[in-house]
Amino acid sequence: MTTATSSVQHGPAASVSLARRGRPGGGRGWSPSPRRTPYAFIAPAVVLFAAVFLVPLGWTIYLSTQKTQVQGLGLGAGARKQVSAGFANYTAVFQDGEFWQSVLRALLYGCILIPVMLGLATVFALILDAQRVRFQRFGRIAIFLPYAVPTLIGSMIWGMMYLPAFSPINSTLHALFGVQGIDFFGQRTVFLSVANIGVWGGTGFNMMVLYTALRSLPQEAYEAARIDGANERQIALRIKLPMIRPAVIMTAIFSTIATLQVFNEPYAMHQISYGGVSTTWTPLMTVYRDTYTANDIYLGAAESVVIALLMFVLSVAVLRLTNRQIFGGEAR
Amino acid sequence: MSIGALTIASQGTAPAKPRRAALVPTAVLLLGAVYALLPIAWVLIAASKTNTQLDSYAAFRPGGSFLANFRNLTSYDGGVFWTWMLNTALYAGGGAILSALVSALTGYGFAKYRFRGKGFLFTMILVGMLVPAVVLAVPQYLLVAKIGLANTYWAVLIPSIISPYGIYLARIYAGASVPDEVLEAARMDGSGEWRTFLRIGVPMMVPGLVTIFLFQFVAIWNNFLLPWLMLSSENKYPLTVGLFTLLDAGTSQPALYTLVLLGSLLSILPLILLFFLLQRFWRVDLGAGSVK
Amino acid sequence: MKFPRSAKAAVCALAAAGLAAGCSSSGSSAPSANSTQKVTLTFWSWVPNMQKVVNVWNASHPDIQIKFTEAAGGDAELAKLLTAGKAKDMPDMAQIEYQSLPTMVSNNYLADISSYDASLKSDYPSGLWTQVTLGTSALYGVPQDAAPLAFFYRTDIFKNHHLAVPTTWAQYQQEAVQLHKDDPSIYMGDTATTDAGLFAGLTQQAGAQWWSASGSSWSVGIDSPAAKQVASYWGNLVQEGAVDSQTAWTASWDKSFSSGEYASWIAAVWAPGDLSSSAAGTSGKWAMAELPQWSAGQDVSGAWGGSATSVTADSKYPQQAAQFIAWLNQSAQGTNLLVQDGSIYPASLSAESSSSLPAQTFMNQPDFYTLAKQYSSRTAAATWGPDVDVAYSDFSDDFASTVKTQAGYLSALGKLQSSVVADMKSSGFTVSGS
Repeated sequence: MTTATSSVQHGPAASVSLARRGRPGGGRGWSPSPRRTPYAFIAPAVVLFAAVFLVPLGWTIYLSTQKTQVQGLGLGAGARKQVSAGFANYTAVFQDGEFWQSVLRALLYGCILIPVMLGLATVFALILDAQRVRFQRFGRIAIFLPYAVPTLIGSMIWGMMYLPAFSPINSTLHALFGVQGIDFFGQRTVFLSVANIGVWGGTGFNMMVLYTALRSLPQEAYEAARIDGANERQIALRIKLPMIRPAVIMTAIFSTIATLQVFNEPYAMHQISYGGVSTTWTPLMTVYRDTYTANDIYLGAAESVVIALLMFVLSVAVLRLTNRQIFGGEAR
Repeated sequence: MSIGALTIASQGTAPAKPRRAALVPTAVLLLGAVYALLPIAWVLIAASKTNTQLDSYAAFRPGGSFLANFRNLTSYDGGVFWTWMLNTALYAGGGAILSALVSALTGYGFAKYRFRGKGFLFTMILVGMLVPAVVLAVPQYLLVAKIGLANTYWAVLIPSIISPYGIYLARIYAGASVPDEVLEAARMDGSGEWRTFLRIGVPMMVPGLVTIFLFQFVAIWNNFLLPWLMLSSENKYPLTVGLFTLLDAGTSQPALYTLVLLGSLLSILPLILLFFLLQRFWRVDLGAGSVK
Repeated sequence: MKFPRSAKAAVCALAAAGLAAGCSSSGSSAPSANSTQKVTLTFWSWVPNMQKVVNVWNASHPDIQIKFTEAAGGDAELAKLLTAGKAKDMPDMAQIEYQSLPTMVSNNYLADISSYDASLKSDYPSGLWTQVTLGTSALYGVPQDAAPLAFFYRTDIFKNHHLAVPTTWAQYQQEAVQLHKDDPSIYMGDTATTDAGLFAGLTQQAGAQWWSASGSSWSVGIDSPAAKQVASYWGNLVQEGAVDSQTAWTASWDKSFSSGEYASWIAAVWAPGDLSSSAAGTSGKWAMAELPQWSAGQDVSGAWGGSATSVTADSKYPQQAAQFIAWLNQSAQGTNLLVQDGSIYPASLSAESSSSLPAQTFMNQPDFYTLAKQYSSRTAAATWGPDVDVAYSDFSDDFASTVKTQAGYLSALGKLQSSVVADMKSSGFTVSGS
């Protein structure tokens, strides 16, 4: 669950690089062991998994089919009852423009975030891998550092930097060019403001993933190109980039999934901007608002299930890809 | 090399030092570094200002009140900030150790045995990775409350132990670094399954388990929503939740902004420290742990 | 979104509280009524220094010990309570803002303490008492603080620009235009359309009832003519550029007060505590006057915030809890401590008249409490519905995303009306007339 909450930076990590470590010819199963042994090994995880994921998930699905029935003004004791709602909550979700707007917003946010973040990550990874570049060690550590900053804390720091009252960005712009301040919380600019937090927090991590992929490429390929007179840029673009394409695609898929789940950054920004980021800015914020602020757990549960389904569709594709590549050689 | 992000500086085998620096890529790299470090530098400077200096001083002009702010933060609400720090260390440290252990067991089980329902169980656990936290938050809270654990350390610790991602990694590590031949030899010698796991499997998986520990440590350290919903007592909050409530209060009490800034700075230092420490520790490549 | 609340203001008044603290714990204590059984009660509140107040009670009541937990602000605490209620895990007692009481009651999360504390009725203005009874014979809490709206202004700026204290909204508008023309770096103040609580209080003054109940159905009057009047008034001012349109409760908004960009503030009587924290440098320059009126000669106010202390349905000891609440919010000792340590403006009439109220040091206004008491008694009655928090949350979304014009505010108000009605219907309430 914790991994699921963390955002863009996680996910792709080792899975990408590890995909190469699969053991193509490896271990034929050596099985004949007491039947129960494997179950004993996985039992703790299965029990915990059931308690932490399955039961709550089942409960969520159950709640999504319930609703409140009110008698009279709903103010007396026992005036509220939980009754079955059938699919009414789902109908409400599908007709709820605000909900789908928040989904669209998350997608738009992703459309800004992912290309910029992965583009930067790729460029930096290629630079780190290139020859004749100075300060590589410093650059690598510096760019990776934001990964150590919790997304919520990072968002709070950026949020304060956006505040007109003490924005270092605006005061610098003003001092240098005499420009009036940028409104970081404007209806449109706010997308960039929030996406910037994601870029800042996620670039370093993805850079490391791609850099790892680059380092594992055979050096001979570009030695030959070098002898043929290709320069570093040509080698990077024509040889290295195509070779790490699978890793780039994988990070893109994982980032897309993380995008639909974005919560911490806009939630912190909502708290700071008061209006710039609405309470229903992303799908998970909508769930949070409907469940906690509006106190309608039934509708919130239905929204949750719909989001989970959307995620599921997205993720099945990912799993199919990774599963086949990685676990092909194990005991079956 | 396969440890991804966490081998920050371990890829040391740079090609022979060239003579002339490539200016453009170096400049781009430095720009990137400046972008990454800028907010941290700003927080560092802002944390040294008084609240009035925060809006009257130029953004990067330091104030002289770092120590005074530090004292204020330390004494705020009876030193609750340091309680948050300790709580976070407890949640992240305890949760990550337990998580690494459970992941090791499970990953080993999945990688080294064949059994009925294996594919199904593994897929189920992976799907868990994709269910967003908010979706499960309410029922999780209700469950936790039902067994009387709401607003206890367990409410945050227990859900942190299970990490589909850790299990996923552990399965890969077990598969890659624990050769079946070695296990088979141990079994021939009469070693029991459990003993084989502890004596042979775990030592070989250690580098991978440290990775899992680290990922989970960072994930729990970063976690906000779960403790935010599970806990109601301030003295059980982790840093993220504590600082967020401080920020919330800051909207009406601006004096708190400096505390939030300093608190944010202090809250990321342990993680940065951990990264640097483990960076050294992790020069050991995963490959070194496997017999190939 | 932020709805300031009295206690929130009180949070800001730590400095002021510090001055008065220390002279509070006079030892006399009422003997505990029920000495047969020793109980420990849990209590959530966000009034600053509440632990101190609780300590005083605990010292003299060994059989009823209070375990206090400092809660986050009002809306965060409410969300937590609503969740805890589902798990039957609520504390014994909690601070609850007036407008959130119906939400709690409609979930059946509050205990009826009328059999213990009903006798306190005579010590409260009837408007506030209605807030805690919801007009029924039950009693869902004891009022803690009152938060009538008033007009706070900078005497120095008013003097420099030869402005009179506006007594009507028409005069306010005319002076706002004039002031900003005289000195474009100064505004009369900020628009009242960024905080739902303030806006609701102003519409309340104008005669709007956001919710009302008849028989078994609710009606929603968020876009009533009175509320529309208020929305278009501010839309007009913002359109003319006569007031600042920035969102309240942000750091730059605070700065507008400390830097003297705003000549006045429409706020409740907790304002001095707030200003003493956000604009400490302007100490001594502020004065308080009655809220401007819609027509000359009227004297009506609205409310912005305020809260009661309630016993929850999960409490096993409602009688003991009610005893503590009565002591806290109504006894001389309790209210003195609340005023001095917690910096709240008490709701209890006897506390309002008490001679032990600390001097209003920030504003240098000797008749502060006399005036506050007067405004409190002139506050228009309000009925809150069972989904105020939805309405407030939608308010901030709707008014933030609309164009800042008269037409924009009116359309946001209409949108709010329909979303609140829709929410109530989907929650299963009967809503009439729409």
